[in-house]
Amino acid sequence: MIFLAALVVHLPLLLMKLPLKSYDANFHIFFASHYLHNWFDPWNPKWYAGFSQTTYPPLPQQWLALVSRLIGLDMAYMTIQFVAILFLALGVYRFSLLWVDRRAAAFAALASVFLGSECFLVYSAGQLSTTFAAPLYLNALPYLSQWVRHGKWRSFLKGGTLFVAAAAAHHATLLFGSVLFALPVLALVIFDHTNTDRKNTDRQEGGRISVPAFLLRTGSIVVIVGAAVALVLLPFWIALIHYPVTQTPIPHPSRANYLLSPQWGLNYFVVPYGALILALPFILLRGSSVPRLRPLLLGFWLAFLVGLGGTTPVGRMVLGRAFDVLTMERFSYWATLLALPFVGLLATELIDRFQMRAVAGLTMAAALSCALAVAWATYRPADAADFQVNTVASWLNRDGHDRYRYVTLGFGNKISRLAVLTDASSVDGEWNSGRMLPELTQFGGGALTSSKYFGKGGLDALSAILHHADRYGLKWVFVKDPYYEPLLVFAGWRRVDDLEDKTITVWSREDVAPAIPVNAPQIPPRWQGLMWGILPIGSSILAMLVVLIPERRWHRRRAVEPSVAHENLVLGRVAS
Amino acid sequence: MKTGRLIAIVIAVATVALIVVGTVWPVPSAVALAGSGTHLLSSASSAQAAVDTLANEIGGQAWEKAYSSLANKSEFTESEFVHDLTGTYPSLRTYATLDSFDLRPLHASADEAQVQLKLRWSTVVGAFLDTRTLRVVKNGDRWAVLWPIVKEPRVPPQVIPVNYLRWDVIYRGPEDDWGSQDVEAPHVRIVDMHPVDRSGGVVIMGELLNEDVVPAFVTVKATLLAKNGSALASEDSFDKISHVLLPKQVTPFLIAFHDIALSDVDSVHMEPSATLIAASADPVIGIEDQRLNPAPGASLSGKLVNQSGQVVNVAHVLGTFYDKSGQLVWVADQYVDRALLPQVPVSFAISLPADIAIKVSTERAIATTYSSGRFQ
Repeated sequence: MIFLAALVVHLPLLLMKLPLKSYDANFHIFFASHYLHNWFDPWNPKWYAGFSQTTYPPLPQQWLALVSRLIGLDMAYMTIQFVAILFLALGVYRFSLLWVDRRAAAFAALASVFLGSECFLVYSAGQLSTTFAAPLYLNALPYLSQWVRHGKWRSFLKGGTLFVAAAAAHHATLLFGSVLFALPVLALVIFDHTNTDRKNTDRQEGGRISVPAFLLRTGSIVVIVGAAVALVLLPFWIALIHYPVTQTPIPHPSRANYLLSPQWGLNYFVVPYGALILALPFILLRGSSVPRLRPLLLGFWLAFLVGLGGTTPVGRMVLGRAFDVLTMERFSYWATLLALPFVGLLATELIDRFQMRAVAGLTMAAALSCALAVAWATYRPADAADFQVNTVASWLNRDGHDRYRYVTLGFGNKISRLAVLTDASSVDGEWNSGRMLPELTQFGGGALTSSKYFGKGGLDALSAILHHADRYGLKWVFVKDPYYEPLLVFAGWRRVDDLEDKTITVWSREDVAPAIPVNAPQIPPRWQGLMWGILPIGSSILAMLVVLIPERRWHRRRAVEPSVAHENLVLGRVAS
Repeated sequence: MKTGRLIAIVIAVATVALIVVGTVWPVPSAVALAGSGTHLLSSASSAQAAVDTLANEIGGQAWEKAYSSLANKSEFTESEFVHDLTGTYPSLRTYATLDSFDLRPLHASADEAQVQLKLRWSTVVGAFLDTRTLRVVKNGDRWAVLWPIVKEPRVPPQVIPVNYLRWDVIYRGPEDDWGSQDVEAPHVRIVDMHPVDRSGGVVIMGELLNEDVVPAFVTVKATLLAKNGSALASEDSFDKISHVLLPKQVTPFLIAFHDIALSDVDSVHMEPSATLIAASADPVIGIEDQRLNPAPGASLSGKLVNQSGQVVNVAHVLGTFYDKSGQLVWVADQYVDRALLPQVPVSFAISLPADIAIKVSTERAIATTYSSGRFQ
């Protein structure tokens, strides 16, 4: 039923290829297109005059590349994204079962289908890796709980392989998820243990574990999963250690104070949370009043505060310098996932109390949250100007133009799509952590194509790279935004062609030699390419095989009813 | 249950407190993104606070707020206020973003103050500084700024006859790429060149002459060679040159090498390049009232007059400075932030380092231009 809801809501949107309008979807497709043609060679010469794709965990893009052999890159993206949405519903259900009963967990899973933050990340932000890794992680957590509670090796294996696959999809999810998701689950194990110990009940479930056993089991899974993640993503760690992200931070609006910048508050708080905002008082009151829900509340609270970006000092205090590197919307996403068990509880109680009126209200709230987040990609599109880059790609691919490098100005995130279509190499790109050219890293600008939006830093970076055009074989500049024309004119570039009904102009410099490979020290050795092509995808295949091993029913888990919740809380008062 | 309530209260209070802290003392990234939003926290309780608020509103392009806060808004319209800051015609000001600003109190009394506001605007060709001296007056318990409006002149409808030289080039065919020409390149020659140690680097300046009878598109590239003959670094003149040279025209050029000492340089390899291009002498930019201002604040100032009939959106002035013996001692430049309207003079001032200024005896200025929708 829940999967059917996901099918009804998301399949039409994905078949319409709506995520292609998002910020990052084409970025993932670009990475996948490289894996498609160079599975064992992570060195991609198409951006930044060459960069290593080992700087970004590869799992979703590699699956995308595999599936694209059957249905093409665009539809493969939609397929992988849809699978991630289905996995999320399953993951939320299994994760929620740790905290609430089956009925509430089912409502939580159903809510995940309509979750504003999920829709925002899928259709507006295009964060495939985050939305792919989170379900894997959520599905791993119940196994973690079972392993620590019962010490069953099957749970260890299943949880461990899923954790490793999640890391191979998105390392940050595992890193921060360990604090936001896993710690509350471990705290729950301790709570249930002490609670059952005190009440001397529930022993038949094997709920009682000794402190050494708890520590040993927790330590063993941390060490072994840590070692496996280190191995599977070894080229990533090597790249990170040799070339740490030391470049000047690039401003990102998710780090804004949402009160001082209400437009970003709307974008990064109202849209992702949607109707969940109305549930915040319930989450607070229920989470604090039911002792076994408190770890979940604390995890939610921390993710919520960090997700508020610069609205509170918490993000900066907790993340340090990483605050200026990471974007904060993923924390809001995780916060909403942590809130879903509460939402499930709220839904059950509302429906029990108000019946059809509650069903109607909740349906309306869910639909509006989902609709707003999906429509947000239209109201606040990643690219205000919708145009095709096929002619630019054709121009670059003919008459030996691709012997030189190029840069675009005013193309927004179309540069990923262009990079997929052309054989030529660019000095620009959308993966800021992968760039090494000093002209790009020292000024604090993002993609050159959008230089003007990064103020002085962005324009200084553009000027610096144009200054060294001959050093990088940069001969072509494609201009969609006339704003940049004065710089080109005064710096010695000349207009040589028009494309797309003169809406795109081509500028050139004469005294530029054909491009030669640069950044040679960063090229990963062959053994790293082999590891990169085998281990991450292998970890996910292994996880699938291991998860398919049938469970032995060593116990029937009794869902712990949060009975304390009913003691004093009058729902109508709480919700109002 | 008591514990639960306590936890709920603690979390709620802590959340509100953290939001208040984050709003009153926002982290740097939040301040940078807020722009005029920081106005929420600002006040007009002092002269400086009023100017600070106004500058933030200008930076955030909150024109309506900024205009409504002015004490002398009855003297001009909001549109005139906006045009003062962004230009009536498209120019560097039009798309500039406020990078930063400084305030300097000049004078203060109980109900009036004078504050100097320096607005540093970022544009596609570099930054420019807009300095305004503001009078701030007290109205009740609030301070308000008297904005010194600069109204851009309106050019009356008229016919301006133009009579200028133009060179067209017939290429082999539309399929030919630019640059792959089958005609001889125009003859250009470096007539002067001096490498100097400057600010921890090497600066090479000189002059390039188009000796030919056809226009040339020129660039100059320099390679510094070490004593063992290896190349230390290679740079080109970028925008410190006039790239379009009409017949017999001379342009100065300046090439900067950072972090290289002149003592490490054995020789310099200069590579001027020239390509035949279609060009015209239009728009003709005259320079009037050219004057060398001594230190402190040495500069070459003057007025640009657009003698053609079309609007010039961006003008770039290159100054060449010579000592008493006629030797080239410095090359400097400035972009003019306002559009050049036909026959309307626009001031420029090219800054000179103090140690160079005392050597300068004569100077020469040339202007290159950009007009939107028209390429050189």
